[in-house]
Amino acid sequence: MSCNTNGGCTPQGNKEIKNLKAFSTAAERFEGAHVLCPGCAHSIIVREILNATNDNIVVSAATGCLEVCTAIYPHTSWDCSWIHIGFENASTAIAGAEAANKALRRKGKIDPTSPEPKFVAFGGDGATYDIGFQWISGCFERGHDMMYVCLDNEVYANTGGQRSSSTPIGASATTTPAGSHSYGEKQNKKDMLQIMSAHNSPYVAQIAPNKWKDMVKKIQKGFDTKGPVYINAMSACTTEWKFPIHQTIEVSDMATDSLVFPLYEIIDGRELNITYRPKNIVPVRDYLGVQPRFKHLFKPKYEYIIDEWQKRVDEKWVYLQRREEARV
Amino acid sequence: MNHSKNKKILELNKVEIWDGNTSNAQALRQAGVDVMSAYPITPSTATVEGYAKLHADGYIDGEIMIVESEHAAMSGCVGASAAGARTATATASQGLALMIEVLYQAAGMRTPVVLCLVNRALAAPLNVNGDHSDMYLTSQSGWISLGSCNPEEAYDMTLCAFKIGEHKDVRLPVISNQDGFMSSHTAQNVRPLSDEVVADFIGEFVEVNSLLNFDHPVTHGVQTESDWHMEHKAKQNDAMMNSPKVIKEVFAEYEKLSGRKYNLVEEYKIDDADIVIACMGTTYETAQIAVDKLRIQGTKVGLILPRVFRPFPLDEMAAKLQNCKAVVCLDRSSPGGHTGLLFNDISAALINTDARPLMSDVIYGLGGRDITVADICDIYRDANDEVKAGKLNGGILRWATVRGPELKYYGTGV
Amino acid sequence: MAKIKTITQEQADIANSLYKDKEHFEKSIWDMGWDELVPSAACFSFDGKVDNHVAQTQPENRNYAETNSINKYVGDWRVVKPVWKVDLCIDCQNCWLYCPDTSIISRDKMMVGVDYDHCKGCGICSEVCPTNPKSLVMFNEQISNEVALTQWPVKTKKGDKV
Repeated sequence: MSCNTNGGCTPQGNKEIKNLKAFSTAAERFEGAHVLCPGCAHSIIVREILNATNDNIVVSAATGCLEVCTAIYPHTSWDCSWIHIGFENASTAIAGAEAANKALRRKGKIDPTSPEPKFVAFGGDGATYDIGFQWISGCFERGHDMMYVCLDNEVYANTGGQRSSSTPIGASATTTPAGSHSYGEKQNKKDMLQIMSAHNSPYVAQIAPNKWKDMVKKIQKGFDTKGPVYINAMSACTTEWKFPIHQTIEVSDMATDSLVFPLYEIIDGRELNITYRPKNIVPVRDYLGVQPRFKHLFKPKYEYIIDEWQKRVDEKWVYLQRREEARV
Repeated sequence: MNHSKNKKILELNKVEIWDGNTSNAQALRQAGVDVMSAYPITPSTATVEGYAKLHADGYIDGEIMIVESEHAAMSGCVGASAAGARTATATASQGLALMIEVLYQAAGMRTPVVLCLVNRALAAPLNVNGDHSDMYLTSQSGWISLGSCNPEEAYDMTLCAFKIGEHKDVRLPVISNQDGFMSSHTAQNVRPLSDEVVADFIGEFVEVNSLLNFDHPVTHGVQTESDWHMEHKAKQNDAMMNSPKVIKEVFAEYEKLSGRKYNLVEEYKIDDADIVIACMGTTYETAQIAVDKLRIQGTKVGLILPRVFRPFPLDEMAAKLQNCKAVVCLDRSSPGGHTGLLFNDISAALINTDARPLMSDVIYGLGGRDITVADICDIYRDANDEVKAGKLNGGILRWATVRGPELKYYGTGV
Repeated sequence: MAKIKTITQEQADIANSLYKDKEHFEKSIWDMGWDELVPSAACFSFDGKVDNHVAQTQPENRNYAETNSINKYVGDWRVVKPVWKVDLCIDCQNCWLYCPDTSIISRDKMMVGVDYDHCKGCGICSEVCPTNPKSLVMFNEQISNEVALTQWPVKTKKGDKV
């Protein structure tokens, strides 16, 4: 708790969330009438994150869907401090704000007993995996007390769906399109969680908005952790994955239940915990089948790619379980 | 204002022997920078190193972020400035080129960052020595740009940069330029102000719509569509164009404290000059010696320097060049397909006046190529011949001191 | 017998108040010249100083600025709209959770209504509604809510195609 100068006592820290009904009492800090697509998962993720904490929060966003659609002059959808500088530097922008906070408190220009705000940077997979990668690496290496959330829809969605290094193999993106001579993206998805974990990050985790309890738990853990925290948020994109707009949660369920997006966390680079074990594991084929960006893989000449996918997902699942057991 | 409870006092001598980088570092220390976000690059590295050493020895209580690239350096500065901190950084050349998009962002977002730019050539070929190509690259970025000719001026301009940029009627980022190596690495006498005088002069950083002001949540860095973009650029540009008023006030106040007078446009023996050379940086001081030499020999020559490179003091420049017969602009940057920037700026100043001096452009000193008193005397003599002939001698633009065939362009009649 | 949910008039008022036009500013941004705009194109979320903790204050008690997107209308994006049958609703809050447009209004752990100014008609709320028949069903935008409520789908049995 902290008592502010206006005479009220406001709770600080993570909200106590026993169940979804309790969660729904949150006062939203992300407003509607942004111009994100109907059915966009980014928005669901941002709402869940902001609703998880009572703290003052400073948010930055990289150029991309979230930034462009929530802050077009003269309207903002953010009921909190928010900054966008450019495409690469959402992480460094928030790191700068975090350093400013430290300096101003040390100098007494900000009351050092006032509650500490949370610093959160949002970036798409383009900003995170590609063009902003170095910036995030620098922020994590320097150990800023911040959270970086990658809204991973596996393409440069805002500009029409170009590939990023998060685009999974076989996906048809506009710069790696499927055609008579190509099955689309040829490279495997980069593993950002392992990379950021190797930066001595005290906490990295993969989340998905359909598993809200797991997500909120990890976000709150991230907020409680001192140092740079990396969160990879699966963001099913109706526009670029090309499924109907009302199926966002359904597709997200298939992503987590097929283990294409396994939900786990790594603490201090060593302790890996799988946080969601699906009761019924969905075949990768079914997950790919509901997304027209993969429809060409169902041609006989490309079906081997689906088999390879399943093999890779199975191997990854075994790997995760082994690491969880071995506590390394 | 007393923030020294967290930092040691540093007593300075009345006259210090500092090179330009040390001058920068000391000025940044005295200015009470809250966050320095910086990356090393020759020849600006020693500004950052000097600042870091002062920090390590307890003379600075701000934060110092040694980041992973120059782009990140400026990004960190903008983020910190938007959060209500006084920020500064230093760079040169390739680093400036790398962070150039963030310069535009900083200006548009009206964050009063101070950049100590140690002017160095831009690759290719790779060259670490001094020229003005990086300064010229910033010319459209919306930053106020101040020039200096020696380490003491660099110290003065860096201090003034804070006061100018943070003024409520300005709120723009400011560059403090000095020549790479020729100023940054040349130790000269510098007469610094005391810490107390500087603290009084610059004052507290006034935050405007800070990210850390939770009473007033604000969104910074919006996207604008075509129905709003121009209004915002107009407002930003208007602040830049009206800043000379503030710059003059700051220079006047600084003169009272230091005894050193600065103007938007500096001039040397220009009143009766037939031929004027316009140049920037350390060349100005070299040229002063050439002017004195030639005047003894009877030629009426003079010098002009835009102390404030941006916003360009167009009216003041025009007023001072009404009576001369020739203006030779020295541009220390490869112009990339046109006449050099200083030539263009000064020509623009004169075209709407009655004055029609012979206007020519000399590209010189690239990549640290030395320019001597003798070289400048030659330039004056060539211009004098042109004045006598009443026309330019076969070219508007030429390159000086290059081994090989003569390089002349435009107005060659070919 | 399952409790049948109803909402109070107060709760309905809250739902309605959120999409009333807000016109308590001195001069609209749209009437301003470049010289009157906030430097750096900064946009404020609220009018004046916030005197409460935003995370503890529901929208109806906030003093929104003109520049807050809550004042915008995106209802014209819709082709279909969610219609809510109150007496079927069990207040599970799935719809609140998964709405990308902050258009499901919940107060005191109860679903209170749909914000039709901000709803884009994506249909996720209906999709995740667990009741049978669903408490939120998508209808053509042109049909009025009153009529829609009389055309409610019946309870489906296992094996039925939805």
